[in-house]
Amino acid sequence: MTTLIDIAGLQFWYGDAEALAGVDLRIREGEFVAIVGANGSGKSTLARLLGGLDRPGTAAAAAACGHDLLTHDGRIAARRDVGVLFQDPENQFVGANVEEDLAFGLENLSWPAERIAARVAEVVETFGLGDLLQRAPQSLSGGQKQRTALAGVLAVPRRVLVLDEPTSMLDPAGRDDVLQAVRRLHAGGLTVVYVTQEMDEVTEATRVVALRAGRVAFDGPPTGLFADVDLVDQLSLGLPMPAAVAAELARRGRRLIGLPFSLDDLVTALNAGAVL
Amino acid sequence: MKPTIAQHYPGDSVLHRLDPRAKIVAVTVLAVALFTRDSFIALAVYAVAAAVGLALSRVPLSWFWRSLKPVIWLVAIAFLAQVAFAPGPSFAHFGPFHLSWRGLELAAYLSLRLVVLVLTGSLLTLTTSPVALTDGLAWLARPLRRLRVPTEELALMVTIALRFIPTLLVELEAIMRAQRARGADFSHGGLLRRARALVPVLIPLFIVSFRRADELALAMEARCYVPGVRRTRLHPLRASWGDVLVLVLAVGAVLTASLV
Amino acid sequence: MSWAGRVVGRSDPQKLGAVEVAGPPRQPDGCLVEAEGLSFAYAEGDRRVVAAAGISLRLERASCTALLGPTGSGKSTLLFLLRGLLEPDSGAVRIDGLAPGDAAFTAAQRSVGVVFQQAERQLFAVSAREDVAFGPRQLGWGADAVSAAVTEALEVVGLPEDRFGDRHPYSLSGGEQRRLALAGVLAMRPRALLLDEPFVGLDPGARRDLAATVGRLRGGGRTILLATHDVDYAWALCDERIVLAEGRVMAAGPWSFDAEGVSVLTANRLRVPSLVELWQRLGRPAGEAPRTAAAAAEALL
Repeated sequence: MTTLIDIAGLQFWYGDAEALAGVDLRIREGEFVAIVGANGSGKSTLARLLGGLDRPGTAAAAAACGHDLLTHDGRIAARRDVGVLFQDPENQFVGANVEEDLAFGLENLSWPAERIAARVAEVVETFGLGDLLQRAPQSLSGGQKQRTALAGVLAVPRRVLVLDEPTSMLDPAGRDDVLQAVRRLHAGGLTVVYVTQEMDEVTEATRVVALRAGRVAFDGPPTGLFADVDLVDQLSLGLPMPAAVAAELARRGRRLIGLPFSLDDLVTALNAGAVL
Repeated sequence: MKPTIAQHYPGDSVLHRLDPRAKIVAVTVLAVALFTRDSFIALAVYAVAAAVGLALSRVPLSWFWRSLKPVIWLVAIAFLAQVAFAPGPSFAHFGPFHLSWRGLELAAYLSLRLVVLVLTGSLLTLTTSPVALTDGLAWLARPLRRLRVPTEELALMVTIALRFIPTLLVELEAIMRAQRARGADFSHGGLLRRARALVPVLIPLFIVSFRRADELALAMEARCYVPGVRRTRLHPLRASWGDVLVLVLAVGAVLTASLV
Repeated sequence: MSWAGRVVGRSDPQKLGAVEVAGPPRQPDGCLVEAEGLSFAYAEGDRRVVAAAGISLRLERASCTALLGPTGSGKSTLLFLLRGLLEPDSGAVRIDGLAPGDAAFTAAQRSVGVVFQQAERQLFAVSAREDVAFGPRQLGWGADAVSAAVTEALEVVGLPEDRFGDRHPYSLSGGEQRRLALAGVLAMRPRALLLDEPFVGLDPGARRDLAATVGRLRGGGRTILLATHDVDYAWALCDERIVLAEGRVMAAGPWSFDAEGVSVLTANRLRVPSLVELWQRLGRPAGEAPRTAAAAAEALL
């Protein structure tokens, strides 16, 4: 399986403030990796660096899809293979209407008009945007704009999709739409890097990388992270209710075996006599 | 939809489907010619051309009227000025003002010119989307690239600015509402007081806009935008025989009028 | 929707410190807010959007009610109508039994405070203190009264004046900025507080802090209306709920989780609060479900 992301000893500073203090990260094709961390942990910085959108400070190695992120040309090339979706649906919408916005990325790559039209039609089909093509952004809901932004990012054929807290400004319906779309894309073979502070959005991930103060505090399966109650506490993440209840029980001296993710797991653990 | 002087009316008429470049050139040629010919017949030809354009565009007349309204005062003042101060024998007096036939004639010419000018301008903006208009102007301005003027980048900037105007207005409204709920008063007081009252509105608006611009730039780069690289278009400008015809007609109208 | 752990429970409201000021009320007593047949529609492009279709409601003094509904259900519009920022097409708002014609109505309606969506966008002053002082100054209070109100408001939202008073608003974190905006509204001593989606866009820690602040406000006697699509925070903070969909009230009153109570939520793309679901799964009465994860842990031990 090809390694698409190869980062070693990555450091990044905002002026004097160290945002990343030596991060190692290797992601293989087809993985669904969640990157979690509180504000200030460096996760958004990492997301931008993976997309070739910022210049790394120093690194022993920094490659995305074979492009060297330490060189300017490498970063420009990386932007083609690694797509990044951001948090605010409003500030990613460039075109005067949905159709224009979907075409934007391909126009930037100087594709001929017929190829652009064909690709836009494909993407419209995949993301169900047929009814919205001529709509201007101000007439769309947050969820619709974010879906358009996702389609627009993926209109450029990508090998990796990085999402930086894509649902934090959406209502539950909008959030479901985006999560469903991401699930489908991953099932279709896309490599996904999902950056978030909400643990309940990464139930699909087979691997979680937790950042704290610019360093990797954990890299492994979600169950492994959730077994470490103290670490989860320190990471200051948003926990799904079952995990939150278990964390509160742990604080009161009653530990369940790891933090349950789902309601079923919590009920099972409780019924198994851990507390009742 | 509130029509204003430069609003676009979506449609599928003959004029809507013309290449924006042909429309821009035709309107410019007509506008220039409008003010350089003095004969009544020339004016009549232009007026008829404008009327035909109005009909072909299939845009409701109310929209044209709304774009004329702001200019009506200008036309009225110009009319009165010409009437009052034109040279020539007069047939009536109103204090310092003399009415003369020559004055009335000149006034009529000027008013008609202004009206036809506004109508042809509206014809252009009503039948051409802002994006198409920008693309057309960018293409026509291409020679400026020799002088290192970044026409493509400017065109993209204009398109994006236009796209964000509604967003800014919504933002402005929200901020004003919030400050009004805190007791801010934007409607009373002299000029200075009102200007000061706008500070709690303008500062947040600026800050939000700068942040927005930052994020947008990042999103654009994430979609492979590189300034300076030649961009293609999903709907490229394609001239057709219809456009050539329009240009011929426009030039033809000017030539005909100058021979009269 | 994720759950963020620690929220101040209903059993420990923090009273505001007693401060003597001239003019504004010391301890705001909640006002009675009523609406009858409120209707409001506006034009968007060539469509006519009905934002409110005959909404009637009653918020008792000092009550804390959640206004639930998906985006576009008309929550914001309803808050604007209640505060008088919009004129209804038909129907009326009554504050303390006063109707729009009555002499004291305008003043009463001005005592309804609104915290708008992304409230931090209203921050404009050079220091936190100055920004919070804006509202009281516009109300015409004397310098001492303004100063006291500012100190108090900053204290309540967890941004004490000695540490945060001189900070530039934009040097604060997102969550702190939002609480600062809330302080700006609280400083005007509103007798009712309408919050429009206060949790959207905040990280889990900031949500916890804001929820703690609202929890503290609950004991203070104000009438509170919390518009949100986050059912779990609504459950944690509010005794009653109003479900709004497409400008109509679908349900109003104390939380109910019988078949009808559940269906009115799920039919409008809302969930049953996760702790209620947990209690139901454990075979315990839904009405006794705890409001916070901490309370759940206590109850389970």
